[in-house]
Amino acid sequence: MKNLYRPIESVIEDIKQESPNITTYRFRPKEPLTFGAGQFVELTVPGVGEAPFTPSSNPNITETMEITIMDVGTVTHALTKMKVGDTVGIRGPYGNGYNMADFDGKEILIMGGGVGLAPLRSLILALFDDIDRYKKISIRYGARTPEDIIFKDLLGEWEKMKNTEVLLTIDEPADNWTGKVGVVTVLLDDLPLLTTADIGKSPFSAETAVACVCGPPIMLKFVNIALLEKGFKPESIYHSMERNMSCGLGKCGHCMMGELYICKDGPVMTAAEVAKFEDPF
Amino acid sequence: MKEVFIGRENLLKLIGRWARNQRVYVPVTFDIMNNPETPDYELVKEEVPEKLELHGACPAQSPKTFLFYAREVVAKYPSSDPEANVEAPATIVVGPRACDLNGLEKFDKVYWSTKHFSEEYDDPFYVEKRRNTILVSVDCTAPKETCFCTMMGGQPYAEDGFDLNISPLESGYILTTGSEKGEKLLDGSDDLFTPVDSGHEDERTRSRASVTAAVERQNAQYAVDVPYDKHELGSDRDAWAYVTQNCVGCGACNRVCPSCTCFLLVDQRAEGGYERTRNWDTCLSIGYARTGGGGNSRPNLAQRFENRLRCKLEYSRDRYGAVSCTGCGRCIDVCMGRIDMREAIKHVVTEMSKA
Repeated sequence: MKNLYRPIESVIEDIKQESPNITTYRFRPKEPLTFGAGQFVELTVPGVGEAPFTPSSNPNITETMEITIMDVGTVTHALTKMKVGDTVGIRGPYGNGYNMADFDGKEILIMGGGVGLAPLRSLILALFDDIDRYKKISIRYGARTPEDIIFKDLLGEWEKMKNTEVLLTIDEPADNWTGKVGVVTVLLDDLPLLTTADIGKSPFSAETAVACVCGPPIMLKFVNIALLEKGFKPESIYHSMERNMSCGLGKCGHCMMGELYICKDGPVMTAAEVAKFEDPF
Repeated sequence: MKEVFIGRENLLKLIGRWARNQRVYVPVTFDIMNNPETPDYELVKEEVPEKLELHGACPAQSPKTFLFYAREVVAKYPSSDPEANVEAPATIVVGPRACDLNGLEKFDKVYWSTKHFSEEYDDPFYVEKRRNTILVSVDCTAPKETCFCTMMGGQPYAEDGFDLNISPLESGYILTTGSEKGEKLLDGSDDLFTPVDSGHEDERTRSRASVTAAVERQNAQYAVDVPYDKHELGSDRDAWAYVTQNCVGCGACNRVCPSCTCFLLVDQRAEGGYERTRNWDTCLSIGYARTGGGGNSRPNLAQRFENRLRCKLEYSRDRYGAVSCTGCGRCIDVCMGRIDMREAIKHVVTEMSKA
């Protein structure tokens, strides 16, 4: 029988510093390893352990995989000590990921907070590959300070894509910042209600608007409230849930939320699916 | 299905014959334990131990010990070998009770999922051992004070899920086959058996009825309006905090539980590279649900205690179609805070109905 726990050797091919504590690594797995946008993998730092990450690269690129990682825990910190040419392990992909067909003909609002933009980059790049299928792509991203904004060089390019906009905010005022200030929900303040009264005024309509959200749990909580208030349908708000997905196989139990395994039923879950939980984020 | 009668001396001989070709574990009473009446498993070596104990209640450990090791290497890396190469020697486990077999049902659903669901992941380390393990269950003849299988929709004797079942009687045992593997255990040993007569059958029927009645009687005080296995526990914060007050989060209940399936993966240096071990884990530990960034969906012990009981009674039912508490009572036996899960369930349910 196949060993579900064996990591596939993967060589670090490139390392790029995105912000003071966020780095993008490009890995080249020695065996075929592909993923869909929103799915995650288990990344092994040899001898240290595993942690779950959603890749940040285009899922249509299959030879290499990029993962954008914030230095916050044991595994991520050990990774910061590694160099180009070193070998890590990867197994996966796991979880449901986004069903891209759900987005056909829709206006897609993408809400990212902090390093939460990393998994969304994978989705954004997949959307760009078929950009004519979507009505609109609105990317709204919040970071703590201007220095904490990741993918700085890409954001300008994304803005130039067809039917695409990019809106940014930082949490607190900074000398080198002339844009919006406030937590990421301020990027929704100007959005008219998606209700009948506001039809025509909003770039989004209640019937065809979807939102894909990724960020720290506290952000998911408040963005969820804000989007529902604006009139997004609960089944059209896709959250990227954060739990301790340890085995990725629906067995170890660490990521369970009620009867759900986030590693299998998630990590992408709609606001409708999590509504029955008292505090899902 | 085949049934035969066997005396004690011949049963020891039969088990001895099994032990020639495979590992056989039997329940034996140990004097060193605080409670010398609790048997635990011992490997049969040269001779079948005289202290083999098939009467009484369940062995101290659940049979998960044989199928899901407390600690086990699940990967050595770097490696390009996709196969798991599991070592799973043929093993016979004599002694699981009906509650234990029910616990293995949960294991089968989690670890051998293609048996139940399609497109899922089969765990090679569990499945290979499960395939190579023969389960010889035993009817309970005397429940512990902490037994409550009847509260969970179970009964103190098994009717399926075994390869061979032993019903202890005063003069010997009835052996009942439940699978081909079980029938093979009887092959070539006709010299040891006599036919089951109506006297034996009557004795078994009486014994089963009286043990069932005893379990029901001793649990009458814990009954609530709806059976435990059909209950919603509710979220009365004060009630959960009250039942958790003596819990220290040691996780002993998880370890003896026949249906606790959770594990922790740990990586370390090993010869030739690194190895990954799979270790029994406890959902009561604070780090269980903690994520890399320090987030924790269950930071308080009361939340984790609540999660454990709900996992047994509600989440297993909602996901796998059956409650996973089997009423074996081991969690009560080992709790250093002397928490009785029956009292906990009753308290939470009663407080909720008041609200």
